[in-house]
Amino acid sequence: MKQTLGEKCFQILNYAVLALLASTMIAPLLHLLAVSFSSPIAADSKKVFLIPVEFTFATWEHILQNEVLWRSFWITVFITVVGTLLSMLFTVLTAFPLSRKEFMLRKPIMLAIVITMIFNAPMIPFFLTVREVGLMDSIWALIIPGLISTFNMVIVRTFFMGIPDDLDDAARIDGCNEFRLLFQIYLQLSKPVLATIGLFYAVGYWNTFKTAVLFLRDPSLWPLQMRLRAFFTAEEELAAVDLIMGDFDFNTTTLKAATIIFATVPIVLVYPYLQKYFVKGAVLGSLKE
Amino acid sequence: MKKKMFLFFLSAMMLLLLLAVGCSDDSTTSETDEDNQSTDSDTTEQEGETDEAATVTVFKSHIGKGTIPESDDPHVQYVKENTGVEYQLETTPPGSEPAEYINLMVASKDFPDILRPIGGVEQTLITQGGALALDDLLPKYAPNVWERIPEEAWNIVRSASPDGKIYYVPKVYLIPERAALLRQDWLDNVGLDMPETLEEYKEMLIAFRDQDPNGNGEQDELPTSGREFGRWMDHLFAMFGVAMWEGYPEWDIYDGEINYAGTSDNMKAAISFIRELYDEKLLDNETFLNKGDVWTAKINNNLVGSWYHLPANLRDRYAAMKEGDENAYVAGMPMPEVDGYDGFITQKSMGEPEWMIPVASEENAANALKLLDFFYDPANADFIQYGIEGVQHEVVDGEKRLLPSSDDKPIALGMLNLTTDESMEVRIKNSFPEDQQQMVRDIFEVSKADARRIAGDGMPSTVYQGYPDIQSHKLFQEYLTKIVIGEWPIDKFDEFVEEWHQAGGEEVTQRVQEWYDTAK
Amino acid sequence: MGGKTQQVFTQRSKALDRLNQNRLIRNIRKHWMLYLMIVPGIVYYIIFKYIPLLGSVIAFQDFQIFKGFLDSPWVGLDNFKFLFNYQDFHEVLRNTALIALYQLLFQFPAPIILALLFNEIRLLVFKRTLQSLFYLPHFLSWVVVGGIVFELLAQEGIINALREMVGLAPILFMQEEAYFRTIVVISGIWKEVGWGTIIYLAAITAINPSLYEAAVIDGANRLKQTMYITLPLMLPTITVLFLLNIGNFLELGFDQIYNLLTPMTYSVGDIIETYVYRAGVLQGQYSLTTAIGLFQSVIGFALLWIFNRLARKSEQGLW
Repeated sequence: MKQTLGEKCFQILNYAVLALLASTMIAPLLHLLAVSFSSPIAADSKKVFLIPVEFTFATWEHILQNEVLWRSFWITVFITVVGTLLSMLFTVLTAFPLSRKEFMLRKPIMLAIVITMIFNAPMIPFFLTVREVGLMDSIWALIIPGLISTFNMVIVRTFFMGIPDDLDDAARIDGCNEFRLLFQIYLQLSKPVLATIGLFYAVGYWNTFKTAVLFLRDPSLWPLQMRLRAFFTAEEELAAVDLIMGDFDFNTTTLKAATIIFATVPIVLVYPYLQKYFVKGAVLGSLKE
Repeated sequence: MKKKMFLFFLSAMMLLLLLAVGCSDDSTTSETDEDNQSTDSDTTEQEGETDEAATVTVFKSHIGKGTIPESDDPHVQYVKENTGVEYQLETTPPGSEPAEYINLMVASKDFPDILRPIGGVEQTLITQGGALALDDLLPKYAPNVWERIPEEAWNIVRSASPDGKIYYVPKVYLIPERAALLRQDWLDNVGLDMPETLEEYKEMLIAFRDQDPNGNGEQDELPTSGREFGRWMDHLFAMFGVAMWEGYPEWDIYDGEINYAGTSDNMKAAISFIRELYDEKLLDNETFLNKGDVWTAKINNNLVGSWYHLPANLRDRYAAMKEGDENAYVAGMPMPEVDGYDGFITQKSMGEPEWMIPVASEENAANALKLLDFFYDPANADFIQYGIEGVQHEVVDGEKRLLPSSDDKPIALGMLNLTTDESMEVRIKNSFPEDQQQMVRDIFEVSKADARRIAGDGMPSTVYQGYPDIQSHKLFQEYLTKIVIGEWPIDKFDEFVEEWHQAGGEEVTQRVQEWYDTAK
Repeated sequence: MGGKTQQVFTQRSKALDRLNQNRLIRNIRKHWMLYLMIVPGIVYYIIFKYIPLLGSVIAFQDFQIFKGFLDSPWVGLDNFKFLFNYQDFHEVLRNTALIALYQLLFQFPAPIILALLFNEIRLLVFKRTLQSLFYLPHFLSWVVVGGIVFELLAQEGIINALREMVGLAPILFMQEEAYFRTIVVISGIWKEVGWGTIIYLAAITAINPSLYEAAVIDGANRLKQTMYITLPLMLPTITVLFLLNIGNFLELGFDQIYNLLTPMTYSVGDIIETYVYRAGVLQGQYSLTTAIGLFQSVIGFALLWIFNRLARKSEQGLW
C-alpha cells in the first residue's frame, strides 16, 4: 500500500509521541522496583530514581519468605480465577435475554438494573444484608456480592445486540434452542468482548479490597491488597508502633515499594496474554441491526 | 400487572434458591458458614460453663504488624494462667477506616467484651445507651486500674458523659510526647547559642539560611519546615502561647474563658510571624505541600534546622542524618520568649478514651476488667514490657532485649496506656542505642520544662456534632495557608474569625464552655 | 379532567393490562429459556442491590447507629434542608459540577482518540507493547499517583526544572487555584486512558475487515477509513459508555481529589465527596451522607433519562 507524505509524517509522529507517553507510564513502577532494591536510608532520603542506591536484596528476601503474604497471594489468585469465571457466566446469562427483542420484559428489567448503577445502597444496609445472607468471614463474600458488574453486563449486551439477526435465523433453522444459540454461536463470536470483560473482572477481583475490609474478620482470609494497604495507614501511627524496628536492611518504605510490585506484576501480565483475542476475534461483520 | 410482576419475581427467587441448594459452590458456602456460627456459639457456651477459663474478646485498632495470636499462644497462655481469662484479640483489618469499622460493629451489634473506642464511637455508645457504667465495677474488679489512674482523670471522664458516670478507662500520658527539635551541630557551625527570644530565633534561622550550616557549599538549607495542612510546625505557634496539637488548634483559656485557639489573638500574632518567615524563605516555601515522606526526607537529608516531632521516634531519622553528616546532633529547643505572650508546649495528658465495655457484654464485664487489671498491676510490669522470651524478647548477656515485631509473628496484647517518666525511660533504653539515649533524654527534659496541660484536655468530641467543618479545622487551614503564602493579607484573619463563628463556631464554643464548667 | 374520561381511560388501561398479561404469558411460554437465563441475575440484583437500597430511608431519619433503622427517629426532609443550608454548599456543588464537566469534555474522549492512534500502528509487537505499558498506571492507587504529581510539580521537580531552563521562575503549582482542575484532568487522563482504551480496541477488532478492503478499492485513505468506517462502527460502544458515565455525573470519586487537594485549593477543589468524608466518615452522620448520595443519584438519573431519550432516537438507548 502506498503512503502519502502526510501519512508517513503522521506515522512517525504517532510512534514517537506514543512511545514517549508510554515511558512516563512505566517510570513509576521502575522507580518502585529501584526503591525495593535500595537501602532504607537511601529510600527514605529520596535518593533513588530509576537505579537502586546501596543495592540490597534484603527487602525482597523478607517479602518472599513471608508466609502470610504468600497465603494472601493464593487467596487473591483463587478469588480472581473463580470469581472471574462465575462473574462471566452470570453476566452473559443476564445480558443475553436483555439483548433479545423477543424478550418482552427487556426494557423494564434493563431500567431496573441501570437504576442500581446510579442509586448506590448506603454502606450500613449493604453490610447488614451481606451479613444476613451469611457471608461474614467467608471467602465468598469477596465474590458473590459483586458477582455482576452492571457496567460489564451492559457492554456485553451492546455487543450481542450488534450481532446480525440473520445468524439467528440460520441457527433456528438448524433447530438451535436459545441456550445453544448463546453458548455455541454468540459466545464464539464474542471473544474480544469476553476477553475485555474477563480482564475487567479479573482486575477487579485482584484489587478486591473494600469488601474484604467489611466482611473478613479472620486474617487468614485476607487478600493481597489488604496487606498492601497496611503500608498506607497514617505513618505516624505506624511509627509509634514500629518503634522497635531493630537493625534491618529494609524498612517500611522499601517494603511498601516491594509489596506494590509483588501485588501488581502478576495481574499486569494477564493483559498481554489476552491480547491475542483482540485480533482473532475480528471475524465478525458488525453490521448495526 | 404489578401483582403479576411481583409474583413473577418471587417465583424467580424461589427457583434460584432451589438451584442454589443443589449447587455445590453454594452448599460449601453455607456449610462453612454454619461452621462459623457453631464455633461462635461454642465459645459463648464455654463462657457460660467456665470449666477452665473465661474468654474475653478484646478489640483494639492500630496494633501494628503481626498475626492474631491463637489460643495456644504462649503470651495468651501466660495471661490465662495468671488471671483465669483467655484473651481473644480482634482488630481492624489493615487499610480500613477504623472509625467506620467500629461503627459497623455497632450497627450489627457484634460487640467485643471490651474495646478501645476511636473516632468518637465512645460518645455514640454513651449517648445511645450502649455503654456500661463502670463506677462500681472498677474498684471491685480492677483495683489497680482504679488506683493508678489519677482522680483528676476520672473526673474528666465523668464530665464527658451526660449523667456524670464513668463509661471508659482513660489514657494517661503524664509527659509531653512532642518537642521542638533543633540541629545543635548547625547552631555550633554558625557560632550561635541556643536562641532565647523570638528575635534570636529569627536571627538563628537567618544564619541557617545564609551560612551553609550543613556545609555542602550550597544554599539548600530550609531553616525550619512543616507539613501539608500546616501540620507538625507547632513550635512556631507555641511560642505565642497557641494551644496546638500537630497543627490542629486546641481549646485553652483565652480572654479569661475556654476558647478555640484558632481564633485567638495569639494565633493572629503567630500567623503574622510565620508569614514573615515564609516571605523571607526562613520557612520552607513548600511547607504546605510537604507530604509526610517528603518532609521526613528533607530532615533525613540534613536540610532542615528546626522542626517539631516525637523525640521517641527520632532513631531512624537520626541514623539517616548521620549518614550524610557524622556530626549531626539533635537538641530540644526551649520556647523562645515572645514579648507579651506566654509560650508553652501543648500537653494532653488524660481523658482520651482507652477502654470501654458495651452493655451487651455486661455478663462478661467482670472478666474483662480482671484482664485489664492484669496489665495495670505493677507486679506484672516486667511481663508487660518484655513479654515471652524467644517471642517478644531475647536475653543477651543476662539482659532482656525486645525483639522487633514482624508481620508473621503473633502480636502480644498490650492494654496498659499509662505513660510516666519511668516508663518513658524504659522505652528509651529499649529502643535507642546507648550513645543516643542521653540525647533523647535531654530533649524530653527541655520539652517537659515548657509543657503545660491545656484547659481542653479530655474534651469529648460531641461538642462538634453537626459541624464537620469546625471539627476538621477546614476553615482554619484554608485561612492559615493562604495568609502565610502571601496570597491573602493578614487582615483576612479577622474575616476568618467572623466566618468561623457563623459556621457553627459560636455554638461549639458554647458547648465547650458548658463542658468546661462541669469538668472544673 | 372529567370523571367520565377518567373512567374510560382506566377501563381502557385495564383492558390493555389484560391484553399485555396474555401477551406476556405467551411470551414466557414461547421463550421460557430466556426467562430462565435471567432468573439468577434478577435474584442477584434483588438481594444485593435492591434490598440494601431500601436502607436509603435513613436519609429521612436521624439515624442512630446503635438504635438501628427501626428505632431511629424520622425527621422528614431535615437532612436535605441541612445540606442545602450548608454555607459552602454552592461552592462544593459548583466545584463538583465543573470538574465533572471537564472530565466529560477531556477525559472521556481521550481513550477513543488513543484507541484510534493505536489502530494506526502497523507493527504488531510495538502496538501490543505500547498497549501493555499504557495500562500500567491504572494499577497504581491515587495515594501513589498523588505523591508522584506532588513531586513532579515541586520546587525541585521536573516541571520547574524545565521552567528554569527557559528562564522562568518556579511555580508551586499545587498551591495555586488556577492549576488545580487542569492537574486533576491531566492526572486522571494519564492514569486511566490506557485502561479505557481496552474496550474501544475490542470494538475495533469486531469490525469486519472486508469493509476496509472495499474502502481501499474505492480509494479511501487512512483518515477517511477512520472517519467513515472505524468511528461510526465504534459509535454504539461510545454511546453506551457515555450513558453509563453520565448517570454518575456528580460522583467524581473521593480518592483522586482527596490526594491532590490542599487547603490553598479548597475553594476550587472541595467537592461533594470530600465534604461527605468530613461529615460522614469523621463524624458518623450517616443520614446526612445518605441524603447527599440520593441527591447525587437523582441528578444523575435525570441526566441519564434525558440522554437516553436522545440515544433512543438512533436505537442505542440503554432501555
